[in-house]
Amino acid sequence: MSGAAKLQQESGSFRVIARGKLNDDRIQGALDLSVSRLRGLRLDAWEQLDDLEELRERAHELRMRVVNDLEGYLAQFTQALEARGGHVHRAATPEEASAIIVRLCQERKATLVAKSKSMATEEIGLNAALEAAGITPVETDLGEYILQLDGTHPVHIIAPAIEKTKEQIAAMFTAIEGREVPAELEALTASARRQLRQVFLDADVGITGCNMAVAETGTITLVTNEGNGRLVSSLPRTHIAVMGLERLVPTLDDLSVILRLLARSATGQRLTSSTTLITGPRRAGELDGPEELHVVVIDNGRTNLLRGRYKEMLACIRCGACLNVCPIFRKTGGAAYGPVYSGPMGAVLVPLYVGLGNAPDLPHASTLCGACTEACPVKIPLHELLLDLRRDMVEEGVAPRWERWAFTAWSFAWSTPLGYRLSTRLARLGQPLGMAAGPGKVWGAGRALPQLARRRYRDRPRG
Amino acid sequence: MPGDGVARVPGVSDVVQLFATCLGDLVFPDAVGDAETLLREAGFRVELPSRQVCCGQPAYNAGHHAAARRVARSFAKAFSRSAPIVLPSGSCTTMVTHYLPELLGVEPYDVWELSAFLDSRGVELPRRNEGRTIAYHDSCHMLRELKVSGEPRRLLERSGATLVELPRADLCCGFGGTFSVRQPEISLSMADDKLGGAKGAGAEFLVTADPGCLMHLDGRVRKVGGVPVVHLATALARGVGAAAAEGLAAR
Repeated sequence: MSGAAKLQQESGSFRVIARGKLNDDRIQGALDLSVSRLRGLRLDAWEQLDDLEELRERAHELRMRVVNDLEGYLAQFTQALEARGGHVHRAATPEEASAIIVRLCQERKATLVAKSKSMATEEIGLNAALEAAGITPVETDLGEYILQLDGTHPVHIIAPAIEKTKEQIAAMFTAIEGREVPAELEALTASARRQLRQVFLDADVGITGCNMAVAETGTITLVTNEGNGRLVSSLPRTHIAVMGLERLVPTLDDLSVILRLLARSATGQRLTSSTTLITGPRRAGELDGPEELHVVVIDNGRTNLLRGRYKEMLACIRCGACLNVCPIFRKTGGAAYGPVYSGPMGAVLVPLYVGLGNAPDLPHASTLCGACTEACPVKIPLHELLLDLRRDMVEEGVAPRWERWAFTAWSFAWSTPLGYRLSTRLARLGQPLGMAAGPGKVWGAGRALPQLARRRYRDRPRG
Repeated sequence: MPGDGVARVPGVSDVVQLFATCLGDLVFPDAVGDAETLLREAGFRVELPSRQVCCGQPAYNAGHHAAARRVARSFAKAFSRSAPIVLPSGSCTTMVTHYLPELLGVEPYDVWELSAFLDSRGVELPRRNEGRTIAYHDSCHMLRELKVSGEPRRLLERSGATLVELPRADLCCGFGGTFSVRQPEISLSMADDKLGGAKGAGAEFLVTADPGCLMHLDGRVRKVGGVPVVHLATALARGVGAAAAEGLAAR
């Protein structure tokens, strides 16, 4: 079995990848355009809600209710779905999840799988696992399809191909179709439609994600804009949905609270073009729908979050609003964070999934400006969680030793007015050396070094 | 929340305690002096508690809570609870109001960012910025943690300035404490966006109320040129023109 996708980049590579993006004017332009547009659409949509704050509170409360009793709600969901003829599988690791799905495909002699957009399948590295088993997965979400052709990963959880231009995509499609595809939106989508239509019809298995599942009814929900999710979940004989174990709401009423916020926060829509509620496979007498429905519930580090305040992060509804307001994401795009989750939600989530020692760049990939917290529809205190992660990095010994020594020495010096006076006098003497090494050198490469005043304010004569 | 919100009549000799903050004391003493001038002009008696050092924020934001606590205790020893504490710094105000009490296990203090304090007291200002076109840069801590964004703008307007808004005023300038040296390329690119926005908006000066943003943006201007950056206290106490003439703003 080929391994699951790693959720994080190598330590130290955030800066390297960011530098590459910063040096590419085309990507800088594309990123700013996309995130600014999505941010504007969300703000307009939010403004039209009279009960926005109440809705956000309710969403937070109901998501936390689920998080605080995950196993209870999962049991209820499982029972309800199985009563409707569906099957629920639990997987602790990405490898287990992929193995379950590969086995389901092999048992059905599937050779072609149509997929709709799902970050959960990105997370478990499903495409690689299917390919290793001789099964061909085809992404049918336009953005994901483009990235699959390109052999790269999504750079935004809801707008995966925002770093690609129309011209690049037109060149790709022209090569595939063997005829000129102009770099215009309608021509590009028509081309994608021609390329994908047969895939929907021929696929043996359809694989989707699940935006939110309803515990009381056993319903899964797909929130899409291209209609591909609907085709993938209804045309093939077998439908497999992959969901994170926290993606539950208690009731259908609760689902409506989340749906009112999700599309508005993601794309500024009141609802997406297709909001599909699926409760079980095709029943006797029904004309369409798959013969079988399997839901694969993945953990993959999620239960690590159940300790302390980090469980707030499990309330996330994956709308991407925090990415669109983040000034760092606006510069780097998603790749610097890792191949799956990015922006503030990724910076919090990934270290918790994979361990702080494996993603030490991410808690510091933020100025703590708080724009993410302000934009989060379910009120996750994202920048405060980043602060908590930084604290844990120090307490768990992940932060470099020199950094701990430096702050400790500094704190002893500055714990008294005398130590403060002596240390700053010393610093003034050493100031000419400040450019030579360390943080002073890094600072000085792009900015004039601050000059310590000849006399501190407190030592000046005052009126 | 900081303060009691009660407007007092200027002229009555109310006492305020001025917290210079470490950056103010060491790097921007003129801005601290200007803050003191403004408070005196408004009729307040200004005390500068002699045992003050730093609020501990640099360590706190980097995750070093034990170090932050050690330094933050100096704040608790230096300041009394008998008079409001005023800071010419949005981020230090945030540290002291939002994080320090829990870090030390103490009751909240009556702490004010300078512009919020002056505006709440209805302070009159001489029109030292008549005819000047100024853009105000919101520090993230003031904008989102303290919710102080109208106050500095009102004060600048009362001082005669014509205000122009920055494009995407919500965007951080890229300082972010240790972020500025952990991710220097992103940090500089964010500074350049901010400075470019000020230029594009037709501002002669960019004013900010946070020494962190000031050190970062002013440092950038001193390196590569751009719209001069001035601390709010200096802009109000001297006027931006005088500040530039006295070498307090680089171009």
